This record gives sequence, C-alpha cells and structure tokens, in this order.
Amino acid sequence: MAAAIQKTSWADDVEDLDQSKGEDYVDDNGIRTTVEYTVNEEGKKLKITRKIKRTLQKSLVEHAVAERKTWAKFGLEKGKKPGPDGATTTVGETVFLKLTPGNKSAELEPSEQQALKATLSKAGAGKVVCRICKGDHFTAKCPYKDSLAGLDNIETPPAGDEDGDAPTPAAAPAAGGPSKYVPPSMRNRGPGESMPRAGGSRDDLPTLRVTNISEDTQENDLRELFGSFGRVARVYVGRDRDTGVGKGFAFVSFEDRAVAQRAMEKMNGHGYDSLILNVQWSQPREQK
Amino acid sequence: MRPILLQGHERSLTQIKFNQEGDLLFSCSKDHIINVWFSHNGERLGTYNGHNGTVWTIDVDTQSRFLVSGSADNEMRLWSVQTGKCLFVWEFPTAVKRVSFSDDDEQVVCITEQRMGHQGAIRIFNISRDNDGTQQSLEPESMFHPVGSKATVCAFPYMPDMILTGHESGKVALFDANTGEEVLSNERAHMDVVSDLQLSADRSYFITSSKDKTARIHDTKTLTVLKTFQTETPLNSAVLAPNMPYVVLGGGQEAMSVTTTSLRQGKFEARFWHRIFEEEVGRVKGHFGPLNTIAMHPAGTAYASGGEDGFVRVHHFDESYFKARPYGEVEILD
Repeated sequence: MAAAIQKTSWADDVEDLDQSKGEDYVDDNGIRTTVEYTVNEEGKKLKITRKIKRTLQKSLVEHAVAERKTWAKFGLEKGKKPGPDGATTTVGETVFLKLTPGNKSAELEPSEQQALKATLSKAGAGKVVCRICKGDHFTAKCPYKDSLAGLDNIETPPAGDEDGDAPTPAAAPAAGGPSKYVPPSMRNRGPGESMPRAGGSRDDLPTLRVTNISEDTQENDLRELFGSFGRVARVYVGRDRDTGVGKGFAFVSFEDRAVAQRAMEKMNGHGYDSLILNVQWSQPREQK
Repeated sequence: MRPILLQGHERSLTQIKFNQEGDLLFSCSKDHIINVWFSHNGERLGTYNGHNGTVWTIDVDTQSRFLVSGSADNEMRLWSVQTGKCLFVWEFPTAVKRVSFSDDDEQVVCITEQRMGHQGAIRIFNISRDNDGTQQSLEPESMFHPVGSKATVCAFPYMPDMILTGHESGKVALFDANTGEEVLSNERAHMDVVSDLQLSADRSYFITSSKDKTARIHDTKTLTVLKTFQTETPLNSAVLAPNMPYVVLGGGQEAMSVTTTSLRQGKFEARFWHRIFEEEVGRVKGHFGPLNTIAMHPAGTAYASGGEDGFVRVHHFDESYFKARPYGEVEILD
C-alpha cells in the first residue's frame, strides 16, 4: 500500500521509516498508550493513538466453571491461543437499558420533518449565534459590535475552578428596553462599572474548597454531605483527565454565605471516609 | 452496558442456550455449525461440526457434559461438550425441530417435522450416561404422533411422564409420555404458531411466545394463562428473567418483509416487560434483523440474543438493572 503514495523527495523515505515504528509506553497511571502509523486506501498517512487501561476483575466461581476455563479448544478453534479472537468476538457500542414504567409502544416514531430538524440542529446548521452578544444573528450584523467587541477577552476565569469547565452560557438578550442592552455576563465588566451581578452567577456564589477527600468521592457524596447545611448550588470534584480518579479536592458552592460559613466551621476537621477534611474558603484565581 | 458481539455464524441464529452455571453459551444457526462460547468474555471455546443442514435446536444437560442437537439433515446428534466429538447419531425420516433434556438429564424429547407423507412425531429417548456416552439405544423409549395441529416446541414439565408442547395452531398441551394421550390442552392459548417455550427454574410455570404478537405465562399443571404481554410485532422468543420481575421478549416482522419496512418500524429490539404489571419497562437495541432467540443467564446477570442478522449479542447487566424499581418497592418472590 505504501507504493501508492507519490514520493516527492528522498527525505520522505527516511521520515516514513522513522514513523512507521510508532510508540508504546505505559504511564504512571497504568495507562498504556500505543501510537501506530498506517497508510489508508487513499494513500493518506494515519496516526492511530490507542489508550488502554486494564483493570483486573476477580470473581469466585464454582469448581466446574473454573475447570471448564482450562479446557482445550476444539473444532474450528482448535489450537488457537486462549483469549477472545477478534475475528469472532468484538465489543459492541454501549446500549442503554432504562427501566421505567409505562408502555413504550405509545411512543410514536418521530415524523420525517422533526427528524430532519433534529439532525440539522445537531450538526449546528440552521442556528446562527453572534459571537459578541450571543444573539441569533451574524456577528457582523451585531448592533453592539462597536461597544462590546473585545470585552470577551478580559473575562475573568471562574473562581475556584482549577480544571476550568466551560463558563455558563450567557442568557439570550432580552427584547426591547430603552437603554443600550448589555448581556448579563458582561454587566460589571465595563471600565469603572460596579453593577451588582445577577445572583445566579456561580462566580459570586460562596464557595468552599474541600481538600483531603478520598479518591473515589463522587459529586453526589459531597452534595449529600454538605446538603445538610443548606442548599448546595454546585459541586465540582477535581479529577485526573485520563483516569477519572479524584485528585483529592473539590469545590462546593452554596447559595447562602451564612450557610457556607456554618458548613465550613462544622466540616473543617471532620472525618470522612477515614480522612480528615480540610475546608477553607475558595480563593478566586489570580487575575491575569 | 456494552454488549459482546459473537460472530461465529454466517446465517441466521436458530437457538441459543446457557448451561446450568451460565459460563457457557451454545448457539446454533442455519449454517450447520454449533458454537460454544465463554459468556463472560465472548471467547469461543469451540465448534461442533458434523451436521449437514440447518441446526434448528440444541440443548445442554445440567452437568455440561452432553449436548444434543437437532437438524434439518434429519439427524439428532449427541455431543461431548468438552471435546466437541459427536458421540451418537439418531436418524429420522424428517427434520428435527426441537430437542430438550429432562431435568434429571436421563431423557431427551425431540419433535420431528411433519413432511413428505410422514407424520410429525414426538420421541423420547433414554440417554445412557455410562462410559463415554457412545452407547445409546437407537430405539426411542416412547413415540407418539400428536393428532391435529403439529407440535413446534416441547419440554419436560416438573410432573413425571409428561411432555409439554406448543403447537402450530397456538395450542399448548400436556401429553402422557408413555401412551401419547393428550392429558390436558389449552386450544386458545395463542392465535398463531407458538414460536418458543421456556420454563421457569422450578418448571412450575412457563412462558410462550407466538406469531400472534403476544407472549403468555402459563401455569404448568393447569395450563391456565397467568399473564399476557401484548406487543405490536410477531414474537420469536420469550424468556423469564431469573430473580427479577421481568420477562424479555424478542421478535420483529417476518424475514421476508424486512426489506420493505424501515429499521425503526421493524422493532428489532429486545423488550423488557414487567412480569406482574404486564407493561413494557425497557428496550435494548442492537440487532439489524428480527431477534430469533433469547436466552437468560440462570443467575439473571446477563442475557443473550441471537438474530436473523447472524449475530449473537451478550449483554451483562449494569448495576442499574438490579437497582431499578420502576414500580417502587414491590416484593416479588420467585
């Protein structure tokens, strides 16, 4: 297949040789990464990166079952090595079984038009969003082009968020209103402006930084734990991006500062999952 | 849950069966081959080669020692599960449509097709478990021809000397194994062909599926219908979920009309119905054709489905399946 590519210079040959080896290494988290280079039918070079994590599952089985696992293969499988063969055994795509009451037969097939609309909106077509005010027009036609452009750049990163998930999408601009419209997300960002922010913005929520939590603590566990003090607005658990294992810290936002204060006093030094929690006010990230 | 896809067959599946412990899964299809797989990882342990026609049916004994199969080449074969060797061959004038072991592994019942001037017959063979199993008697212990509609499925109920059958007319009946006399019958159990019959673990009740789009749970002793599950497609298979209050139904429209209807309309999904409330509680997609056969792991931790598309899909249930209580906490004793 390699012959299909047109060689333009002798240097490419060398490059080919170098890359065809690929890489194979195991990192600290036990994730094995293999990189392969292949050339597809169109003569294009492909880089295939596979990340594989192995977890060992142990189970107790009956003697008869354990014995059967040692049986020699026979028939068409005769002499093949143990382990599933990719030619006959593959893993399918994840399917979901959600058990809910009520007959599913009542669900009607979506009409063709609806299906078309759904695919369109999925592909992002047919929906225009202005980059400046998030309105449903083209950016070039935005009425606030001159006054708002560039404000986006000075947006502060969300406080107490180390891995930084996406900022809350700005609300759609309200129709009408005599004064110049400023989207809520921009409201106190203007020079010298100090308008109180909308209460819902999570940047303003009293947030506690919880450290020394165990690796397998989930959002729901913390929500349950801190929910006893008052309404918890948001829980974020820091995780390793590759393994999904907790990094030992979390942020818990409350709706009320007094509640947060009380929770901090109570929970700081509290034993949880055989570890002693450390709860502090979260410090907003340094401004650039 | 991520299904394991088993691609050991080139043609549509006819029957799949778990063994007693659920670690082995047997599958047979129209391509003459019987496969055996490890259910936990989908590894193929081996194949049983020898039949020269569609293998319609298989059954395995409780010790996973013998496998019996029935085929369109007019043969019923006994196999060694471990080695894949054919131990014995019985020949009949017509195709074998259904085989089933008794609960003590001592007997096998088989149904042969009604064709070419031959009557459909039900035969019961004694299986000798001595030595290596190659010494079997050619003559059946008993044989009878059910009058009227021909039998399509059969099994041993918990009562001694009885055979439970499902018929082409939709009839479900109990026959005396020795005299061939029809002891009890429910003529109106279904309105069309009974396509599958699977017993509960203690054989005191059983579920049947039918082309009349319904599946029904019957009491083994009285043959009264206990529950009815009304679907919108012809059903090919139905199974009771052990330890959980569900039944799993599979079907889809006839193979010949598949190309003329959309995939969505085809309803090639395994359907989970609540056993008590007779309502559908969930669906699992995956097959590209009608589901021909469904089997459940005896511990209820997994189920497998075989389709007209030639695939077997093994699904190990997630935690959520065991925790889900769609109708609240209802105590159901199995």
